[in-house]
Amino acid sequence: MKKLLLAGVAVLAFTHGAGARDITIAQSSDLRSANPGVNRDGNTDGIILHIVEGLVGYNNSGEVKPLLAKSFDMSADGLTYSFKLRTDVKFHNGKPLTAEDVVWNWTRYLKPDTKWSCLSDFAQGGAAHVTGVKATDASTVTITLEKPSAVFLGLMSRPECGYTGMISPDSVAADGSFVTPIGTGPFQWDEWKKGEYIHLKKFADYVSPENDGKPDGMVGSKRPLADGVKFMIIPDASTVKAGLESGVLDTAEISPDLIPEFKSSEKTQLIVSRNNGKNLFYIQTRDKVLSNPGVRRAMAMALDLDELVAAASNGTGEANGSMVSQDSVYFNDTQKKRLPYDVEAAKKELAAAGYKGEPISIIANKRGNVPSFPAAIMAQAMMQQAGLNVQIEVLDYATQVDRRRSGNYQVISQSVAPRLDPALMYAFYVGNKDKNASLMWDDPKAVELMRAAYVELDQEKRQKIFDEFHELMLKEMPGIFLYDMVDVWGATKKLKGMPVWQSNARLWEVSVEN
Amino acid sequence: MMALPTIVLVSITVFDLIRFIPGDPAALMLGDMAQPEQIAQMRTELGLDKSMPQQFVIWAGNVLQGDFGKSIVNDEPVLPLVVSRFAVSAEIVLVAVLLASLIAVPAGVIAAWRQNSVIDLALVGTATVLLSIPTFWLGLLLLLFFGLKLGWLPVLGYVSIGTNVVGGLLYLVLPVMTLVIHEAGVLIRMARASTLEVLRLDYITHARAKGLSESAVLWRHAFKNAFGPTWTMIGLILGNLLGGIAVIETVFTIPGLGRLMVDAIFARDYPVIQGCLLFVALSYVLVNLTVDLLYPLFDPRVVAE
Repeated sequence: MKKLLLAGVAVLAFTHGAGARDITIAQSSDLRSANPGVNRDGNTDGIILHIVEGLVGYNNSGEVKPLLAKSFDMSADGLTYSFKLRTDVKFHNGKPLTAEDVVWNWTRYLKPDTKWSCLSDFAQGGAAHVTGVKATDASTVTITLEKPSAVFLGLMSRPECGYTGMISPDSVAADGSFVTPIGTGPFQWDEWKKGEYIHLKKFADYVSPENDGKPDGMVGSKRPLADGVKFMIIPDASTVKAGLESGVLDTAEISPDLIPEFKSSEKTQLIVSRNNGKNLFYIQTRDKVLSNPGVRRAMAMALDLDELVAAASNGTGEANGSMVSQDSVYFNDTQKKRLPYDVEAAKKELAAAGYKGEPISIIANKRGNVPSFPAAIMAQAMMQQAGLNVQIEVLDYATQVDRRRSGNYQVISQSVAPRLDPALMYAFYVGNKDKNASLMWDDPKAVELMRAAYVELDQEKRQKIFDEFHELMLKEMPGIFLYDMVDVWGATKKLKGMPVWQSNARLWEVSVEN
Repeated sequence: MMALPTIVLVSITVFDLIRFIPGDPAALMLGDMAQPEQIAQMRTELGLDKSMPQQFVIWAGNVLQGDFGKSIVNDEPVLPLVVSRFAVSAEIVLVAVLLASLIAVPAGVIAAWRQNSVIDLALVGTATVLLSIPTFWLGLLLLLFFGLKLGWLPVLGYVSIGTNVVGGLLYLVLPVMTLVIHEAGVLIRMARASTLEVLRLDYITHARAKGLSESAVLWRHAFKNAFGPTWTMIGLILGNLLGGIAVIETVFTIPGLGRLMVDAIFARDYPVIQGCLLFVALSYVLVNLTVDLLYPLFDPRVVAE
């Protein structure tokens, strides 16, 4: 019987399994669409990252660098960008990338029919209104903006925008409908078995952008070392663990609870990587109790942030009270400032604010890969020490989103996906709450600073804006930032390289030993 | 007779209930970066800005023409999606229920025949333990033992039997085994209880008085009459499992109907939830209708009545 079953498994591996040097990875949900930047979520972005590339991309420090472009220049008035294209780039169908292809792609993205997620950013009224895209010569493209924008290149590089990836015009049918993604990335589209897996195969003719031999965010060395990548849809964390232990999976995000087990395992390795996402307590500044900055500051001072972060992140996170990520070029000594942990001072602030023990509810969810619930539990215990009457309300994620969108909350223990430019991160929290109830902070000065960060092109001046913003935030405390998100992944010992970057799988320069 | 009203009632209830659950599909679909205007536009495109009765009339009208709509999440037509996922679940459920019945019914009859003996106690005890084990836990245990420790069976993934017979069968073993173990517990107890009732009746005493062998009394006279309630239970189990083995499908990474439904609920994918539940109701009704129609084969009195 045993022999029969083993023979069957062997036959199965031979006939069905991916090639011997494929990397097999688990992800919690299926691809939404193979159309870059259209109908997307985080998992979709991770797959698309391997297939398409934009003119520019983020590096590890959050700076935008050339990718399909060899170089780019901005005119003195900040309105015209010239992208000189690399001449060694081919689409997966073998055709070379030309300036006309870039113009075709931009024209397609800017058509409302395409339903590009980022259209509003690049359309009239957006943060980087594109007024023209033209091919100056066979390898140069010029993009003009209505007004200067500090986030134009950053927006182009965003996962949510499908990296503004260039696809071959052969990717769409004659009627303009999308067929298949023929990109320029290190892996090419192969097969999608809905609900089961997505398989990409190596693009043998791939050439990396200029690099120093190492992967660097979305740029750097991007060699596809594996024959292919198979993304298996596995929603259950226990099954993922079994898959990694059995060697069926090569790598996957794991539940943080498994950190000790993976650390000590002989079969598997633990991969911990910080990203630019944020874990925070999102506060409703229009709430009757929480509209008083004194109460919000008291909440912050009641938290032993280092202890809270250590517990909520299973020892992987590091406290960071700033909206700016620790890995950003803009993270300096000013950004390191935070309110002190001081329970007595918190009590005094509460007394001065006239707080009389009114209940404060923290909304949390129990999704496995975010610290929403453990952070809320820790905060509740700490805040109660200072006399705050904190309760926890556990909701499913969809309901939590609904409550935030409608403004119907007091505090939400929330995680926010990575945004590599601080100004783009600010936009998640700051703005007019009358127009958008989901925003956290509508202080006029904060809104003014955010707008300035969107248009200021000089890095030093931007730094000053971000520093002023941080000081204002410490005074007003519209939300309590806890720590930068941490990706906790497991892998077999056979996997070589770093398979995750900014919460997404990144499987170039990653291999599996046979 | 009640099939049609049941389905209509289910469709109205499902349609209303999922809209009462907090969570806006448009907001979930567009993600964190969406502006209120974009969400409002998406709601209009999805028809969610219309009143609930209007939405229901549109949806029901389309369903009557065979159009179950498209998934909000991935724009796929709902009917082919539901049917393809149902086929995967049905493959597992039918095999599991058949095997569970083949094991449990004779075991239950034997337990009744040897009431209060060691065999009876062992069978009833085992059945009670089996039906008390949660399927997700049992599934994980089997996966760890047969997949990880022994390495006999694939740990995760799915291959359709249509694509690869050997592979398909290997992938079926663990989920089917989990269901068989759990459902056999229920069926053993049911078969035992109904057989015990029949064995107490006068006509069984009469059969024994006529000098018939115990085997003939048990299988020719007792079993046929005792099987009716068990048959009904098999129908209920079948209908129930066809409607969702989401836990099993999640543990064993099987792309079946249950997982589709759970994913759709989390994403508030209304057309898929509605399509799935309507399909489940329909299959439940059809299974029970079939069970009722086949009942006279085991109990001729049903026809007489």
